[in-house]
Amino acid sequence: MAAFEDELLGLVPRLRRFAQALSHNAADADDLCQASLEKALKARAQWEAGTRMDSWMYRIMRNCWIDTTRSRTRAAETFLPEEAGLEVGDDGARAIEARVELGEVAAAMQRLPDEQREAVALVLVEGLAYKEAAAILDIPMGTLTSRLVRGRQALMAKLGEAA
Amino acid sequence: MIPDEAMLMAYADGELDALTAKRVERAIAADPSLADVVAAHRALRERLGQAFGAASEEPVPARFAAMLASNVTPLPTPRPAWPRRWIEAGAIAASLVLAVAVGHQWQSGPVKVSGDRVVASGSLGHALDTQLASASGDTHMLVSFRDDRGSYCRVFATAAIDGIACRDQDQWVLRETRSPLHTAGSEYRQAGSADAPLMASAQDMMKGDPLDAAAERRARDAGWR
Repeated sequence: MAAFEDELLGLVPRLRRFAQALSHNAADADDLCQASLEKALKARAQWEAGTRMDSWMYRIMRNCWIDTTRSRTRAAETFLPEEAGLEVGDDGARAIEARVELGEVAAAMQRLPDEQREAVALVLVEGLAYKEAAAILDIPMGTLTSRLVRGRQALMAKLGEAA
Repeated sequence: MIPDEAMLMAYADGELDALTAKRVERAIAADPSLADVVAAHRALRERLGQAFGAASEEPVPARFAAMLASNVTPLPTPRPAWPRRWIEAGAIAASLVLAVAVGHQWQSGPVKVSGDRVVASGSLGHALDTQLASASGDTHMLVSFRDDRGSYCRVFATAAIDGIACRDQDQWVLRETRSPLHTAGSEYRQAGSADAPLMASAQDMMKGDPLDAAAERRARDAGWR
């Protein structure tokens, strides 16, 4: 049995969600997901069975994302609404609604500085505890909370949810 | 104590120890405007969760399922069959995968690549061939039906993968796959935790009603033709 691949396959939905929270659009997100899975398959010798594969994968994906964003221009940002529209396809009405909502929230996420976005993605989208997120990002708890506070305030202001 | 924004946020996220949380609650009781801050933090979490949640509920794209099929082996050389954008991104390293399962089905994982399709293999293929919905085991057959082309399709659930497979000639082609619910950590998968979106897809694909036990048995005995 290939327990490694099976466990990894089980994580794919969460990894795709994390990738979307980090990326400009769904296509970039799936490219990021593919790159991360390729990396994980190559690095499988470094994976210690019995430890948490999700944390390991989040870290791999975050590194892939940093590599990609560093080497890429920001031009893609302009195309967000159009890409979001193309992705709708023939999904049901509920899915389209979700896409529109995703577009708005994703656009707000895109405007966050990378370091705030990754903190928000891990804690608010992936639902990790502060401690887990800080470990994945390799930063102290205090740094994580201050990035979270700033990221959330910016999102609330953009999404009109400020108290 | 007047809690600052970071503390209110941590309170909203359930990150404070009991003692500190109590203090924040006392402060909120004294100043109801703080409750609005907490509510705004919770609302934002909710909204983000919903916006991105769809990504985790979609079926796993076949290309990822194929990558992780346990009978695939990394190849040292890149091939041009991948999305152009990706090649242009320069990230196509030495990690492409190719199925090499031929002749080794008994060793393979639950899926393999056949031509450009992902098909069931190994124990999953066997279960799809033989197992009735009434049977229990590591693999569950949730429902069997005919699609609009008259092919037999079956919704299955295993520890590693859930999905819908449809009969095409002598193979079970995977039409949709999902990771099973609650695969994180060591949570045990509960029997019968049918994936609702998967069942909804089956409903959409289905022509007429699902097969009853007798019809399913007849279909199996006739080799799903």
